[in-house]
Amino acid sequence: MKLFKQNNNLAALDGGRRFSLDKALTITTFVLLIIIVLIPIFMIIFNTFFVKATTGRWSLDLSMFKTQLTDTKNLSAMWNTVKIAFFTTIVGTIAGVFYAWLLGRSDIPAKGLMRALFNIPYMFPPFLGAMAWDMLLNGRGGYFNKFLMNLLHLESAPLNINSIWGIVFVEVSYYFPFVFMQVVAALEKMDPTLEECARIAGAKQSTVIWRITLPLTKPAISAGALLILTTSLAHFGVPSIIGYSQGIYTLPTRIYAVIYNAGGSFEGIRQGAALSVLLVAVVSAALILQNKILSSGSYDIIKGKSTRPTLIKLRGAKYPLLVFCVITLLVIVVVPLVMIVLVSFLKAYGLPLKLENFSLIQYTRVFKGGGTIDSIKNSLFASITAGVVCMLLGTLVAYVVQKIKPKNKGALEFMSMLPYAIPGTVLSIGVILAWQGSILNINLYNTIWIIIVAYLARYLSFSMKTSSAALLQVSSSLEEAARACGASHTESLSDITLPLIRPAMVSGFFLIFLPAMREVTTSILLYGPKTRTLGVQIYGLRDAGMIPQAAALATVAIGIIIILNTLVNYIVKDRKGV
Amino acid sequence: MAEVRFENITATYGKKTILKDFSLTVNSNEILCLVGPSGCGKTTLVRCLLGLMKPESGKITVGDRVLFDAKKRINIPAEKRNIGIVFQDYAVWPHMTVLENVSYPLKKRRVPKGEIKERAMKALELVHMTTYANHLPMQLSGGQQQRVAIARALVVDSDILVMDEPITNLDAKLREEMLLEIRLIQSRLKSTVLYITHDQQSALQLCDKMAIMEPNGSLCQYGTDEDIILHPANKFTFEFIGVSNMIPVTCKGEKICLDCGVDYKLDVELPKGTTFAEKSVMGVRMNDVVFDEKSDVKAQVVSKVFLGSEYNYFIKLGHKVIRVQQSMLDAKLSGVPEDGATVGIRFVNPRFYDAKEEHSEAV
Repeated sequence: MKLFKQNNNLAALDGGRRFSLDKALTITTFVLLIIIVLIPIFMIIFNTFFVKATTGRWSLDLSMFKTQLTDTKNLSAMWNTVKIAFFTTIVGTIAGVFYAWLLGRSDIPAKGLMRALFNIPYMFPPFLGAMAWDMLLNGRGGYFNKFLMNLLHLESAPLNINSIWGIVFVEVSYYFPFVFMQVVAALEKMDPTLEECARIAGAKQSTVIWRITLPLTKPAISAGALLILTTSLAHFGVPSIIGYSQGIYTLPTRIYAVIYNAGGSFEGIRQGAALSVLLVAVVSAALILQNKILSSGSYDIIKGKSTRPTLIKLRGAKYPLLVFCVITLLVIVVVPLVMIVLVSFLKAYGLPLKLENFSLIQYTRVFKGGGTIDSIKNSLFASITAGVVCMLLGTLVAYVVQKIKPKNKGALEFMSMLPYAIPGTVLSIGVILAWQGSILNINLYNTIWIIIVAYLARYLSFSMKTSSAALLQVSSSLEEAARACGASHTESLSDITLPLIRPAMVSGFFLIFLPAMREVTTSILLYGPKTRTLGVQIYGLRDAGMIPQAAALATVAIGIIIILNTLVNYIVKDRKGV
Repeated sequence: MAEVRFENITATYGKKTILKDFSLTVNSNEILCLVGPSGCGKTTLVRCLLGLMKPESGKITVGDRVLFDAKKRINIPAEKRNIGIVFQDYAVWPHMTVLENVSYPLKKRRVPKGEIKERAMKALELVHMTTYANHLPMQLSGGQQQRVAIARALVVDSDILVMDEPITNLDAKLREEMLLEIRLIQSRLKSTVLYITHDQQSALQLCDKMAIMEPNGSLCQYGTDEDIILHPANKFTFEFIGVSNMIPVTCKGEKICLDCGVDYKLDVELPKGTTFAEKSVMGVRMNDVVFDEKSDVKAQVVSKVFLGSEYNYFIKLGHKVIRVQQSMLDAKLSGVPEDGATVGIRFVNPRFYDAKEEHSEAV
C-alpha cells in the first residue's frame, strides 16, 4: 500500500520533521480505525458464514444464515422493523418540517420558549418515554385507559399502546426533532432574497413555500430523515418495552432475545450475528432507496450571511396553531415526564394516583438495592471515557482527512462513517465477537471496556463530523504562516490549529457524552454482572416488574441529563463569547 | 538582507509538472515582482522557497545559506528558513490579538520577554497599527488585517520578505495606498522582497525588477519594468502586459500587408535576416495606434469612451475590431472623431509574431 506520493531519493531530506509526523498520524489513524470499526464488522460477517470445525479449520457454512432467514419469527420481525421505520420516518419528517417552518418562519408567538421546548424530546431517552406511555396506555390497565374506562363506563381499554402503531407514535415523538433541528437551522441560514425574488416575480405565498423554500431545505430534510430512518431501524428500547408483552418483535429486539435465550453461548451469538447481517441488509436497502428518492444535492446558497428572513403572517390561524403546538408539547414532553415522576412516588404500581399513595420509598429502595449507584458510576465512566477518546480520535481522523490528505483518505472517511449506518445492536455483536478472546486472546467481555469500545465505534463519526467542519474553516495558510514564523509542525498544531478547533472539540465531546449517558441499545448486549449502565439498570428493573423503582431511577436519570445539558449550554456559550 | 537564487527548480504536484528547470534570482535590497497568469506556478515557487513543498530537483539559496539542494540532500525545515511571508488571505490568527500575532515569531525565536513587546510595537508602528494592538483580528478591516500580516512578517529580521498576492483582496483605493506603503517600508528597511502577483498594474507600480512567467511555468522575461514594457521578449509578454491589438498580416514581396478583410500595405520594412511566417500577426499597443488623416489605412469608429485623461475607441479595420487610446493632448490637437466616422490610422512601433506558435520569439 503506497500511502504517500514521494520522490524516494528525497525521502530522507526533511531531517525527519514534517513528513514523519504526518506519516505517523496517518498510520495511527488507519490502525485505530481498523481496530475499532473494521474488525467488529468483519467478525460479524465472518462468523455468520464461516464455522470452526472440531478439527480447528474454518469452513464456509451457510446453514446458519439460511435457518435464520427462513424462520418465520425472524421474517415477521424484519417486516415489523421495516414497517415501523417507514412510518416513523414519514410521519416524523412531516412533523419535523411542519414545526420547523412554524417556529422558523411564521409569526407564531413565544417562539424562543417553544423552540427550547421542542428540543427537549431530543435529549429525552426514548425508552423512558416508552415506559411512560406504557404506564398510561397499556392495553391491560394503563392509568389513562382506566380513567377513560371509568369515565365512559367501558368494558375494555379503549386505547392500546402495545401495537405497531404505538411504537410508531412513541418513536415519532422522540425522533422528529432530528428533522426539526436540521430544517430550522437551514431556514435560518437561507438567504431571504431568494424568497423575496419569487414574490416579486409574482408567485403566491404558498407557491413560494412549495417551489422555493421546501426545495432549498431539501438537503436538511433529507439528512434529518436519514437520521430518523437509521435510528429507528436500529432502535431497541421502544419496541422492546412496548412490543414485548404482545409478542411484537423487531430485528434488534429479536437479536436481544436470541442472545438472551441462549444465555450468552457462542451459538446464540452466532445466531445474533446472522440476524445482524439481515438487519444491515435492511438498513443498506433503506439507505439506497432513500438516496434514490431524496438525492441530497447541497445548495451553497443556503450558507453565508444570516439575515433575518421576513416572517410569514399566520393571521387568523395564529392562535389555533399556537394551541396546537402547546398540545403537541404537552403530549410528547409534559405528560410522559409527569407520569414517570408520579409513578416513581407510588408505594406500589397499580395504586391510584392519589396523594395518600405517595412516598419516597421507591427511591430508598432503588438506591439500597444492588447496582444502582454502580450503574450511574459505570455510565459516567463509560460516557466520559468514550467522549474524550472519541473527541481526540475524531479530531485526529478529521485532521488526517482534511489536512494531510493521504492517498487513501476516502477509505479513512468511509471507515469512520461506516458505524453511522450500522445499527448499535449490530456493532455490539461485532464487538462481542471481536473482543471475547478471539483476537490475540484479548477478552474484554464482562468488563466496562467492551462497552467503551462499542461506544467508540458507534459515536466516532459524531466527533469526526464536528471536528471536520471546524478544520475546514481553518485555512491551511494559518498553519503555514506559523511554520514560516518559526514554529515547528507540532508547535503550529498546538499553537494555531488546536486552539481554533477547541470549541468544536468540546461540543463534539458532549455530542457523544450525552447520548452515551442514556443509551440502552448498545449496552444491553454488552453488560456484565458488574458493568450495568444506567440504561440497562432502568430496563432491568422494569423488566423484573419493579416499575415504580424503574420510574424512580428514570427520574434521577432525567435529572442528571437536564443538569448536564444546562451545563453544556453554559460551557459552549461561554466559549463562543470570547 | 540577502540575495535569493532559485536554480533549476522542478516541482510536481501529483503527476502534473508545475515548474520545470526554473531559475530566478532576486537581487539583494530590491523588490522583484513575479508576474504571471493565475495557475502558472507562482505560488508553487513560493511554497518551495518557504519549505512547505519539496521540489523534485534543483537548489534554493538565500545569501550564503543553502535552503534546499536536491543533489546534496539538504532541505531546511520551514520553521528554520527565516523568511517573512504575507499571504493573500492574510493568515492572521483569529484567536490571538494583534500584538500576540506580531509577537509570535519573536516568541518562537526565544527572544527575551521585555524585548518581544518592544519589537512587536515597533513593527506595528511601521504599519500604523499601534492603536489596535489589543484588538482581535475579526474587529479589523481587511486592510488592517493585511497590515498586521505585514508587521508579523517584518518583526524578525528575515533574510527575505515574500508577499503572495498581498493586496488582491483589498479595494482599489486601499490597494494603491498599501503599494505605496510597502514601497516606503522596503526602502526604509532595505529589504529584499519577492512580490507575487497576477496584476501587472501593481507590479509596475512597485517593482525594481520584474519577472514574467508563462502559463506553462517557465520564466519568459526578466528585467526592469521599462525593459519589459518597451522590449517584450515574446508574444506572451507583449499580450500579458498592457492592452494590445493583434492584427493578422501576410507578407507580399518585400512589404507586409494587413490580412483582415482589407489588404493595406504597411510602411514597414521586413526586419533583415528574418524569415516571415505564412500566418503572422502584428501586435500593436492601443496607445500606439494613432489617428492620421494622411494615412492610407482607413478604419471606422464604432464607439468611444471618455475616461477622464484619455479616450478609448473601438474601431473597425476590415472585419477586425481594434482598440485605440487617444491621450487628451492628442484629442486637443487632432480632434475627436464622431462614431461612424472614417479615420486614417498609423501603427507606431509594431511587432510581428508567428500566429501559430503561442510562445515564439519575436521575428
